[in-house]
Amino acid sequence: MIELQGLTKTYDDKDVVQDISLRIESGEFGVLIGPSGCGKSTTLRMINRLIPLTRGRILLGDEDISHLKPETLRRRIGYAIQSIGLFPHWTVADNIAVVPRLLKWPKSRIDARIDELLDLFHLAAGEFRDKYPHQLSGGQAQRVGVARALAADPEVLLMDEPFGAVDPLTREVLQNEMRRVHERTRKTIVFVTHDMDEALKLASRIAILNAGRLVQYDRPIELLTQPADAFVSDFIGKADLGLKLLSRRWVNQYQDRARTTPDAASGRPSHYWETDATGRPTCLHGGRLSDGDPEARTAVNDEWIATPGMPMKEALSRMVWYRVMVLPVIDESGRLIGEVSMDGVMGRQP
Amino acid sequence: MPAVFRHADRRLVANRVLATLLVAAVAGSLLLPFAAMAPNRLVSGESVALVAALSPWQTLVLLGLALVLGVACLARPLGEHRGARTALIAAPLALLVVLYGLGDYATRALADASPAARVSQGAAFWVAVFCCALMMVDAFQRLRTPLWLCSIYALVVLGGIVALFAAGTFDALAIMQEYFNIEDAFAAQFVTHLVLVGLALGPALVVGLPLGLLAHRRPGARGPLFGVLNFFQTIPSIALFALLVTPLSRLGDALPWLREWGVSGIGAAPAIIALIMYSLLPIVRNTHAGFAGVAPATLEAASGMGMTATQVLWRVEIPLALPVILSGLRIVTVQAIGLTVVAALIGAGGLGAFIFQGLGQYAIDLVLLGAVPTIALAVVADFLLQILVTVSRPAGAR
Amino acid sequence: MKRNLPHGRDALLLVLGVALILLVLFMDALAPLFRAAFPQLDTAVYARESFLKLTLDHLALVLVSSLISVSVGVAAGLFVTRRAGREFEPLVSALAAIGQTFPPAAVLAIVVPLAGFGFVPTIVALTLYGLLPVVQNTIAGLGTVPTDTLEAARGTGMSATQILWRVELPLAMRVIIAGVRVSVIINIGTATIGSTVGAQSLGTPIIAGLVGDNIAYVIQGAVLVGLLAIVSDLLFERLERRYRFGS
Repeated sequence: MIELQGLTKTYDDKDVVQDISLRIESGEFGVLIGPSGCGKSTTLRMINRLIPLTRGRILLGDEDISHLKPETLRRRIGYAIQSIGLFPHWTVADNIAVVPRLLKWPKSRIDARIDELLDLFHLAAGEFRDKYPHQLSGGQAQRVGVARALAADPEVLLMDEPFGAVDPLTREVLQNEMRRVHERTRKTIVFVTHDMDEALKLASRIAILNAGRLVQYDRPIELLTQPADAFVSDFIGKADLGLKLLSRRWVNQYQDRARTTPDAASGRPSHYWETDATGRPTCLHGGRLSDGDPEARTAVNDEWIATPGMPMKEALSRMVWYRVMVLPVIDESGRLIGEVSMDGVMGRQP
Repeated sequence: MPAVFRHADRRLVANRVLATLLVAAVAGSLLLPFAAMAPNRLVSGESVALVAALSPWQTLVLLGLALVLGVACLARPLGEHRGARTALIAAPLALLVVLYGLGDYATRALADASPAARVSQGAAFWVAVFCCALMMVDAFQRLRTPLWLCSIYALVVLGGIVALFAAGTFDALAIMQEYFNIEDAFAAQFVTHLVLVGLALGPALVVGLPLGLLAHRRPGARGPLFGVLNFFQTIPSIALFALLVTPLSRLGDALPWLREWGVSGIGAAPAIIALIMYSLLPIVRNTHAGFAGVAPATLEAASGMGMTATQVLWRVEIPLALPVILSGLRIVTVQAIGLTVVAALIGAGGLGAFIFQGLGQYAIDLVLLGAVPTIALAVVADFLLQILVTVSRPAGAR
Repeated sequence: MKRNLPHGRDALLLVLGVALILLVLFMDALAPLFRAAFPQLDTAVYARESFLKLTLDHLALVLVSSLISVSVGVAAGLFVTRRAGREFEPLVSALAAIGQTFPPAAVLAIVVPLAGFGFVPTIVALTLYGLLPVVQNTIAGLGTVPTDTLEAARGTGMSATQILWRVELPLAMRVIIAGVRVSVIINIGTATIGSTVGAQSLGTPIIAGLVGDNIAYVIQGAVLVGLLAIVSDLLFERLERRYRFGS
């Protein structure tokens, strides 16, 4: 748990952060968002005392962080930044081991932890342990950066626009991984971004900052449906509010049973899935967007699928792109466990 | 890329650099005097051409090697890379033949001459040696040979030259005659030269490294510090040496115990002080540049993860700044070896002593005996420190 | 604070420049001072040649050699960065780098006797050595011109010559001038040693003083040559500042 109480930062008589109070519960994914210069990064850096606060208090659990030595505090808090800051003279393994070594963990425990974290981020330990940062792609480097922040199993993870510098495709992948990692580890996370879509996708609570003040601190749905003032609704953007809402909905909330045989009883055109012996969907009969032919067969490919944890917005996007009314929902081993359809999206409250 | 291949095939010469060097070497060797024969040490001698100086077999071998090098620079049959490898074999062989030929000529020519007669090397000799060395450098650059392989190759070639020395090939040459005259003094001055350089570099590092860190941590101190150090760097060496003579001799007069320590106007003390002053700027500048080159993100990550300031300094900043700091040391070492030559003018000794003694007596070979080893020392120090810089580069940044 | 700095440097340049000129012209006026400081000396001010003549000789050595160094050096740097000479670029760069490890005094001592003692051979030695930093910095300076900028210049339809004169050279000028600055400062120092190989310069009173145990001569020569070097350095610094574009 992290609690900011009346947090204020003053530079040359100018308040860059003014009287911010908020509380992020254990296991929550808190996002600080706002236009540049709103004080979100300054707030984040006051939590691990990279910037000294002017007034107010920060509690980590029930401890006032000003009572801890900065180094001790920082070793208890993971920290990942946009420019990553991997140590160029150390291997991936050495980089991840920084804090455990500072904490004097035994070597065997450090080694095990490195492998565990590489595994968590789907980086093959054998391949990546001994690579140097300059041999990594942007996405890989950022994964290592986050793994390093998590290395000593910190109570809290601070992230300052960690995916700001990678290309949109990689960012999407990293965001999905971050969601998965958060679900798996249940760390308390404080995440700074200026990207509303990213915030909506990841956050369990969002704090909107403007000119150093906290404007609204709420769960994403409430932010979308009950913005506190004009600034918030402008910042969220009204034009694609419906899609934004869908980005907070997951496929499993819209999932229907998938038919694997033709619906002979019903008279209207219908669709059904063909599966192979292991239960993987292989092709779809009917269900195309434009042609009404109920017998048209479409082969299922790797892209044309949905998973239960996928944001509904993404599933919708795939339906539009592949011009189908329906997507198969598959589990981790690729078996067909249901379907989502245009009708299903339209038929339910967003 | 096929397009490039077709283009390369149509060219006659694949390596124009080697071709140019070969033409220069051949023309220089044939048109300039290869050696000079003089009745005694102080008069300039009568020129002898390459063809006249070398024995027939030596001429034939050189001719053969020149032909091989000529083929090596063509597009066919060898092409650029195999041509470069061929040059790496032929060029050092040519170098050794030229060296051996000169020594052999001196031995033969002096066999029936007066004891005072001298044989020294001429311009053609230097041109040939220089061109051969450049051919090897060019070949290494084309093959992108790693530094360690270059080092081994250089050691082998040097080994060949040392073997010639050991076999007494050059004993008849004037420069070696000068050497035999002053063998003990040469060794002593050589050591003095190294000691002066060492005595200057040690304190310069002790003072310069913290100053460089200071310049990095306190931007306000940077301007005045670099201003003062650049001021010293700009003053010509002999002027700074000379200007230190007066205050130090005064100091020596005033405090006799200092004199016992060797501090006096003339001699090593002003030389070492001046060398330290000259060495400070590159050390401070490179130390500062090294620290400034560490990415801010790396530092933020380091302290954000809970490293103390000391841990950040020793584990992150120093390892990452080290190659740049060592490049500063490389500059300073080479510079100090050169400046120590001038220090001989104020009586500090070192190899410069032979140079100025020789200039005073118009004894060119004595000048060379001082100058050639100084240059060799500087080049070798430069090369060794370059290896050190490369090794110090963190594996990830190499 | 930062804005004031250039003015401060200019004032320093002015003061030192005036001091240099006054000392060159009126060193004799300081004779009582030197006599008081070194009562044991017979003559307190170097008189075998006027300091004006020595300074002009010194300047002639440096100017002639530097002019040749700069024209040949920049031309060589341009040649190896054009298409026709690109093949020579690695070797020329290596040569310039290795050559600069040679001590200038040793180069002077080797070249001058080979070419005969005196003024012209000293110029030859100074020119050879002075070439290296000019070539090196010309190559480096032209290398710092961003490829985007060159692309843009080509895109606007400039010819190769126009690109060279209007884009490449102006952008590379600061680095090239830095090379000339190094070359000139080294040559001022080496020309001082030139007095040991028969070229008269401000080093002449220094050597005469060292040989004849006359510390006053040494100081007079050393102060003048030191001032000359520092004034030249400040002049070049001023010149470099004019070619700083934003960075």
